Amino acid sequence: MWNKPAEGNVSPQSSNTPARGPMTPKLNPPVASTAPAAPSAPVFSPPAASTVATGSPSTIAAGLRIHGEFSGNTDLYIDGEAQGSIRLGQSKVTVGPHGRVQADIDAREIVVEGRVQGNLKASESIRLGPGSHVQGSMLTPRVAIEDGARLRGKVEMTKPGDARRVAAAGQGKSSEVVPATPAPVAKE
Amino acid sequence: MNWAAKPRLAGGMAAAPAGPAAKPGPATSAAPGSAFRASNGLKEFLWLISDVRGGRILDLGQVSQATLTFFIEKGYRVSTEDFLRSWKEFLTAEEERLRIAPVGEDNRKISQAILAEKFLESAMQYPEESFHGVLAWDLFDYFDAELTSRMMERLYSLLHPGGSILALFHSRPPERFHRYRIVDPQTIELLPAPTLAVHSRVFQNREILDLFGKFRSSKTFVGRDQLREGLFLK
Repeated sequence: MWNKPAEGNVSPQSSNTPARGPMTPKLNPPVASTAPAAPSAPVFSPPAASTVATGSPSTIAAGLRIHGEFSGNTDLYIDGEAQGSIRLGQSKVTVGPHGRVQADIDAREIVVEGRVQGNLKASESIRLGPGSHVQGSMLTPRVAIEDGARLRGKVEMTKPGDARRVAAAGQGKSSEVVPATPAPVAKE
Repeated sequence: MNWAAKPRLAGGMAAAPAGPAAKPGPATSAAPGSAFRASNGLKEFLWLISDVRGGRILDLGQVSQATLTFFIEKGYRVSTEDFLRSWKEFLTAEEERLRIAPVGEDNRKISQAILAEKFLESAMQYPEESFHGVLAWDLFDYFDAELTSRMMERLYSLLHPGGSILALFHSRPPERFHRYRIVDPQTIELLPAPTLAVHSRVFQNREILDLFGKFRSSKTFVGRDQLREGLFLK
């Protein structure tokens, strides 16, 4: 009935490797080294997401809650709460381990260590750290997802530089953007 | 049912590599305690979806870079939803909600059926017939009958006609909790993971067939590691 190939009628052999020891649940490592280091001193100055020159990232520190639209050309580190939309097309956006973001993020590079509810679009790469939790679609040429990351949503790959072109399509839940290129990936 | 009508192309994406190197094994670095299993179910699953250009895959397990990459590099679009974890979190939230609810308010008996209905109001929310393949892994082993049947209804509606589901069933309660990732077109890696849920039931073959009764066809593969693979075609 199934027209199985000759070998198909045989149950697959499992070639389990011997267990090397008891189950060792992985603990979330500390913040990944690629994330900008949080300021050593608490930052409670008003965030200036769109006014600071590139070089050091603007920071929304833990304890701050921001609503609105973020735009500009500076890197942004979010360890507080942000809602609205974040459009920093040439910059890097990092959501720190305490960060809670409810916004679509459009950036050159996105690193998530905390929680994001919204669509992510990066022209270079997206990385989800081990403690991250993302609910939304991801559109980028490169994606790295570490063990322990949680993602509820759609992942689509673009050619480098194409993310902007398909931005509109990437916003909708039912968008149908054909993946264009084998994606370089980070080791899991 | 006419899977047999589909010609198998030599060298297709699901074709087994030739030679001794075809033995399943860690093509990539293995996680400690992980195990690899040859998967005819995966091989068939890939064969079934290989005709679909830009097909959509729904992965209901814990998100895995390896699995995502595997499909994306082949041109598929992947949606991922950690269904078991979501269910666990939902139950925890419900428990907390009931605990803090004032006496006399919303004190109706919560049945498994009600919980399942409520959970699925927020889970697996996708347009109908939007996926060509679903990776269910061993999820069904962890749910009660109420959620299982409703989940099956939802999965059936989400599948494109001709789409297929790959599911795993333990023949006996597993010794540890695993998550799964695809290593190559015929190898699945079982990664030990912190226990998310207690194994709920062992399906008999007849129960599996009944569960997927609406599907056009089913096919099962039995491995020596007490894990059965089921492939179900809509």
